Amino acid sequence: MTTFIDRPRWSCALGGALFTLRALRRAVPIIHASPGCGYNVYMAGNAGAGYLGGGYCGGTAWSSSNVGETEIVFGGVERLKEQIKTTLEVVDGDLYVVLSGCMVELIGDDLEAAVADLAGEFKGPKILAVSTPGFADRRGYDLVMSELFRSFCLKGLEKKAEVINFLGLVPGQDVFYKGNLAELKRMAATIGLKANTFFGDFEDLGVLERASEASLNVVLSDYHGQLAAQTFSEVHGTPYLTLPLPVGAIQSREFLKNLGQAVGLSREVPKRAADLEEDRYYDYLERAADIVNDVDLQRYLIVVADSLYAPAATRFFADELGWIPVLTVVTDDLDDQTRKTVSGRFEGFESQLKPLVKFESSAIKTRAHLNQAWPRVGSQRHQDPLSPAVVVGSVFERELAEGFSYPLLSLSYPVTDQVIFQQARAGYEGGLSLASAALSLVVAGR
Amino acid sequence: MDYLKGLAAPDRCERLGAGVALSMGCGQIQGAILAGALGLNRRTYSQTYGCQFTLSLSIINTFQRTVLIAHGPVGCGACSVANAGSIKKFKNLRQATNEGLIWVSTNLGESEVINGGENKLRQTILEVDKLFRPEIIIIPVGCVPAIIGDDVESLVAALANQVSAKLVPVHSAGFKSKVMATAYDDVYHGVLKNLTGKLPLEASEQLLDPIEEGRRRLALSRTVNVLNVFSMSYDDERELRRLLEALDLKARFFPEFTDRGDFKTVLDGALNVSLCGTHDDYYLEHVKSLYGQPFITDTLPVGPRNTARWLKLVAGFFGETERAERLIAAEEAALNQVLGPFRQAFLGKKAFLSGGEVRVVATAELLNFLGLTVVGFKGHHLDRFILPAWEQLEVPPQTVFHVATQQPSEQISLINRLKPDLFVGHAGGNNITARQGLPILPLFSNAYGYMGYSGIFEVARRLRRILQNGAFNRNLAKHRPLPYRKAFYDCEADAYLEGPRPLSEGQLTAQNLGQ
Repeated sequence: MTTFIDRPRWSCALGGALFTLRALRRAVPIIHASPGCGYNVYMAGNAGAGYLGGGYCGGTAWSSSNVGETEIVFGGVERLKEQIKTTLEVVDGDLYVVLSGCMVELIGDDLEAAVADLAGEFKGPKILAVSTPGFADRRGYDLVMSELFRSFCLKGLEKKAEVINFLGLVPGQDVFYKGNLAELKRMAATIGLKANTFFGDFEDLGVLERASEASLNVVLSDYHGQLAAQTFSEVHGTPYLTLPLPVGAIQSREFLKNLGQAVGLSREVPKRAADLEEDRYYDYLERAADIVNDVDLQRYLIVVADSLYAPAATRFFADELGWIPVLTVVTDDLDDQTRKTVSGRFEGFESQLKPLVKFESSAIKTRAHLNQAWPRVGSQRHQDPLSPAVVVGSVFERELAEGFSYPLLSLSYPVTDQVIFQQARAGYEGGLSLASAALSLVVAGR
Repeated sequence: MDYLKGLAAPDRCERLGAGVALSMGCGQIQGAILAGALGLNRRTYSQTYGCQFTLSLSIINTFQRTVLIAHGPVGCGACSVANAGSIKKFKNLRQATNEGLIWVSTNLGESEVINGGENKLRQTILEVDKLFRPEIIIIPVGCVPAIIGDDVESLVAALANQVSAKLVPVHSAGFKSKVMATAYDDVYHGVLKNLTGKLPLEASEQLLDPIEEGRRRLALSRTVNVLNVFSMSYDDERELRRLLEALDLKARFFPEFTDRGDFKTVLDGALNVSLCGTHDDYYLEHVKSLYGQPFITDTLPVGPRNTARWLKLVAGFFGETERAERLIAAEEAALNQVLGPFRQAFLGKKAFLSGGEVRVVATAELLNFLGLTVVGFKGHHLDRFILPAWEQLEVPPQTVFHVATQQPSEQISLINRLKPDLFVGHAGGNNITARQGLPILPLFSNAYGYMGYSGIFEVARRLRRILQNGAFNRNLAKHRPLPYRKAFYDCEADAYLEGPRPLSEGQLTAQNLGQ
């Protein structure tokens, strides 16, 4: 068993929590930790998530108690209370969430008690507390969303059949989260559903407050969002199902079909919607027919990505662009059950192709896996190298790609070589933009 | 100086009396430092900033053929992502390599919190040595292992003979000091104990021809070690090398982008020259007392006066003062020939600077030279290392000098009141400042020149471009609000500082007279 993680592709629970709150309009985190915790994950999340930036009150503007040796020895609760009070005075928000770093958890500071002590002093925005020590968990998104579903969402609202919530895309960890959510929301609307995404365009905290109106929660990842959906179900009695992030037309049709079925629509509704979408989709994809076939732009494919993107991207390139998937490395540190589920996502491709699939967090090991996936064959005179190929991964794959002179397309965190705004990689829009980005790499020298 | 017997470097609050939470007029700075007690103040509202762990990475991420083991939970050191894509390019400028930035996390979990993290660190060291075959394994130790009491030093000593890499622990728990720059001491503490040391004479050297040996010694007697910093570029190094070569001196740059052997070979240089006392005093003082290697730590060669002062000090050590003066005169004359139109463009422009104490003051001198007026400062911290650069600067005594590491909210009211035309800022807080609509010149860069004479011209060129069109930030200010409550905009910068206020000039004078 590996004892360490070589170049981790995620930060910690605090990091996930901070970027979740950064994506919620006018939510204000209050970090109870050493000075560097917030800064550290900001540097990671800003650059790694395609330059996501600090946003409304983030980056070095994040409120932080900055505990020192005195607090480590004598306890930091009084300092935290002071910081909560001054943050409410200084920063204008609609929701305040206290988060913790490892060191204050180790010394036993009680966040909830600190918040409860102050409850009488403040009327107005809610103040919540979520423990987010990096040594205990890495699911900061789930920890924060669970607490928001428990303590911020209104209870007892009437369920509306046409309303659903999307969960499982972690802001920043999914570099394209905003574009993806916008596209999935648009797709849901094509079958008459109103989707809440919480982080999307024109969505504010009011959407989160009324999230319990939804009749169904749809979790887009096999890992992230599962805990939040369970909490939601326990608190609000709302069922959930996992529909993995769809990329491109084939997966989107399946997604719409399954979504329609889950909310009790007739089969015809998602079918009509998908037919219409595909007509538009292929109007664009058809443009590449000339160049792809004139000069042979088919490629071998190496995918190194988290469990959100690894199966979806592999399947998209194999089943829609007709590329040859050779190796896919799933980079999350997953439990056995989730691994099994993710493994299953590589079965049943229309192309009947399946790459060598490895679950591996260490970047250094990819080359060894590649040797296994494509052993040297041929004679000294007639070699059969893995070429031409494209690597779809993260910036951590740059040395691997450069070593073989393969083009690299960054898709999965960290993505420091692109500036990402509203671009999607999910759904129909995402499929088109991913195809465009990949084919652009291949024609870049022309 | 000898702190090496201790486990870790001391907090700069104690060692240097450095302060991080102060506000004063520039006229009070020298007195405030003289009076001491800069570190007594505290914040009641604070914002996140770099800790020892994160800042230590600014040095150790650059070492060649090195793997970092971030000893802590998985998030510690995640900030390295920001350099993961670019560091190879910068490494390559100094030594041809296909090696990017490699760090691993010991990924401490609940089990290690209860049982200790030493076993996991031991296995990680052994595997990293085998898998990557690095020359150096450097181990920044974070808050969690510091609190649970991992004995990293004993572990490293026990493993030293089992691995081929040199093991270097860096004790950088983030809660240890509020003075972020303590990180430099943390790194040097580890380097001095584990990488620095005289090279044994090789057999071939012992048998050198006396004439060859004489030549070698002569070359070393003109060799200057320049201590580089992450906040400089390769262009800066080339410029300083050019100036030193004009004095017939050979420049070697370290510790950034150097390798295991360099830490030994540098000890044969005639002189260590620092670019910034804040960065290097811990190393320089120790190397002087341990190995007798002389050093100069004074000002930063940014701006003409600072550059001239720095050059003259180095030249003076080698008895080349007159030559340096001729060089300086020629360089300044060449600059003045071309700066006229730039100065015209900058006439009447006001600037506010924010970042490291030495850097902001030296850069202010550069801006003054270009014809801008400096209206205020925010320094990361304050201690005596600011003084040499300070002596090169002329600003009215009432010019505000606010001391805060990052803390972007504290400069809101200063910017609103002083209304500068330009903000010169350290990376990190600019998402707030941008929304005040100002054009921003980065205080430093890994990709652009700032130092020496070419640096002055390069800054002038960039400044003209940046001031020519500030549309991006101006539009942001129109469309994206700052996150603060209305009443906060009327607060003074020191509204959330607690503790003794710096004495007025009159009080200081009286106090000093009393002494």
